[in-house]
Amino acid sequence: MKLPAHIALPGRRRPAPGPDRTPVYAMVGNPNCGKTTLFNALTGLRQKVGNYPGVTVEKKIGVTYSQHGRPIQVIDLPGAYSLAARSPDEAVLRDVLLGRRADTPQPDRIICVVDAANLERNLYLVHQILDLGRPVIIALNMMDMAAAAGMKVDAAELEGALGVPVIACEAVHGRGLVELKLALSRLELPLARHRWDVPVPIAPAVAEIQASLADNDARTPLIARAEALLLLTDFDTVRVAGSKPLSPRTHELLDQWRQRWVQEGTDWSAVLIRSRYDAINLLCKDVIRRPREAGPSRSDRIDAVLCHSLWGWAFFAVIMGALFYSIFSLAESPMNFIDEHVAAFGAWVKGAMAPGDLRDLLTDGVISGVGGIVIFLPQILILFFFVGLLESTGYMARAAFIMDRPMSKVGLNGRSFIPLLGAYACAIPAIMATRTIENARDRLVTILVAPLMSCSARLPVYLLMIATLLPGDVVPATTKAGIMLAMYALGTGGVFFFAWLFQRTLFPAAPQHMIMELPPYQPPRLGEILRHMIERGWMFLKNAGTIILGISIVLWFLTTYPKHPDPHATPTAQIAQSFAGQAGHLLEPVIKPLGFDWRIGIGLITSFAAREVFVSSMGVIFGVEGADDDTTPLRDALRGAHWPDGAALFTPLVCLTLMVFYVFAMQCMSTVAVVKRETNSWRWPLFQLAYMTGTAWLVCLILYQAGRALGY
Amino acid sequence: MPASPIPLSPLCQLPAGSTGRVCELTGDDSFCQRVREMGFGEAALVTKISGSSTSLCLVNGTRIALNHRAAMSILVEQLPASAR
Repeated sequence: MKLPAHIALPGRRRPAPGPDRTPVYAMVGNPNCGKTTLFNALTGLRQKVGNYPGVTVEKKIGVTYSQHGRPIQVIDLPGAYSLAARSPDEAVLRDVLLGRRADTPQPDRIICVVDAANLERNLYLVHQILDLGRPVIIALNMMDMAAAAGMKVDAAELEGALGVPVIACEAVHGRGLVELKLALSRLELPLARHRWDVPVPIAPAVAEIQASLADNDARTPLIARAEALLLLTDFDTVRVAGSKPLSPRTHELLDQWRQRWVQEGTDWSAVLIRSRYDAINLLCKDVIRRPREAGPSRSDRIDAVLCHSLWGWAFFAVIMGALFYSIFSLAESPMNFIDEHVAAFGAWVKGAMAPGDLRDLLTDGVISGVGGIVIFLPQILILFFFVGLLESTGYMARAAFIMDRPMSKVGLNGRSFIPLLGAYACAIPAIMATRTIENARDRLVTILVAPLMSCSARLPVYLLMIATLLPGDVVPATTKAGIMLAMYALGTGGVFFFAWLFQRTLFPAAPQHMIMELPPYQPPRLGEILRHMIERGWMFLKNAGTIILGISIVLWFLTTYPKHPDPHATPTAQIAQSFAGQAGHLLEPVIKPLGFDWRIGIGLITSFAAREVFVSSMGVIFGVEGADDDTTPLRDALRGAHWPDGAALFTPLVCLTLMVFYVFAMQCMSTVAVVKRETNSWRWPLFQLAYMTGTAWLVCLILYQAGRALGY
Repeated sequence: MPASPIPLSPLCQLPAGSTGRVCELTGDDSFCQRVREMGFGEAALVTKISGSSTSLCLVNGTRIALNHRAAMSILVEQLPASAR
């Protein structure tokens, strides 16, 4: 077929697909076009899920089979409205398509998934992709939604106009998949009849910059043209062209054209976008038949209630209540089950092996360390079930819409709310759930503040301290509940304060424009939700588990060595002798101003494994067996603990200070591991550790010293 | 007699249920470009569904939510009911 004048064949880093090699396909599309559903339908369970190195953008590569049974690799690229990238997700899409990512094969062919009910806007990205001159297949998805809206979308007409295969699909119902696979199996695909002339006001600039990129920046002709068009819509050359600087000549040309257009008052970016839309509207003239009178759609009728100023909030409160209740109540039985079985497995290993360091390493280090993390799996799965349910039905965007105003008061995004709510159960799933926040800055701030929410691991510490502070027989339960509630309120207040502070100091920027598409409501797709849950659960176990295993072994080592000279020494004497015990002594000068002694110091060190470990550590240190099951003997032991001068150690003020310390301090290695994974660097988890523990120390210092000054 | 200028108002002030034509975008370049790329550019018809602080609109059959700052940056001309 004859190529348009501006198109030359692109240079390839891979051999051309042929009888011996099946092509690599990239799947692209706007957000909410059903791309992931189609990808899952095509590839089934044959997927590899990971991250693009250097960014926290999910990388999904799957395999489907051609009509002759040959494997075809499909890369599911992040959803995007345009190749002019504004987010890390969109930058990954652009870079993979332009062949800039060394970690991902440059796709030979592209599957463009478009929403038939919203064809013009979806074709905008397709229009940009056609500039790349690669073979394209268009999957005209959501034909059922278009029909429900009274629209008739003619796939054959679009195929005729563009000259590329256009397959009508309904990915949700599995319709059109066979036809799509047949198209994917074709040995040769035609290039599109992409008749689009660059608008006259900017055509000379495109030609000059394209030539300079080809001559001076080693770009192939088609990539040079696509990049020239992107550079003209965004002058941030690093953002557009990647970290490798452009040649001085290209820079010079860009500056010249920019100055000229500014002087002439030409809005070159608007001209370019309008020109594409004009071409798309012309293309769609005979493709789409719209109804003369369109009444309110099903989604409009549901939105009239769910986005209503009063009923919308009521429904939102019910959904969030159900989520909160499920995470705490439904997770309880499976968590107990895991806890019991991990303990039983530990006991079995203990019984089956001869006493010694290896046995202790396995039981006290590996099994209890990893078991202490696996226990969170039910909460993670439940939270991701809800996240998947809300995403799949289309309600997630509405929840973000409803919460956007209150969250924006502290500079957060409406989408931050659900992860923060989940953090009441556990910060780990909450941090993983921040992937639904598109804005990188808002996502990072949410990750940084989420662990301040009082998670369920803090409860045993609060309960022990409240029991020590207020003996059950003299103080009414309401007072205890009031103290507990105050701790939760303090953590929540901390979240809003630090979010507000970070948005003003670490990431100062003008208030943002938020513009978000609300997808049509759809029935939940349970298979997809379950897949999402399992993916997230496995990701957590695989990635966080390895780091947590390492830290568990280190913590076991610190509490076991050096050995007490007396082989029959009590656990209390052993832990006092250990590195952790020595560290507790070393730590004492730092924590003494907070009213804590070296024994509490050991508890602080060991509970870095998980906050609730503080209770069992206190049990070991104060020689109380079974402290996890019944805190009464431990409470009495703590009330009887003294400083060397005879003063009581656990005074009411110290108990309160210790609770406040646990509200703010980052006493959780699993969270550190997950933040490292989600931010792809040690910088943010270490910053989080420093700011949270620093705040805990400072607030406790003020509280304890003020309490002392007031005579408590 | 010269035609009187069309009164423009920010999208957030467009009454719920009414339709307007986008006439001007006043935000930064990045925002203007994204809005145009989403088919919300100059001359697009927009129907306000609800909201004043956070606006819910219908553009080309798609529901779009905008925060107050974004809705302030989109200037529209309200169309009479008969013109829709």
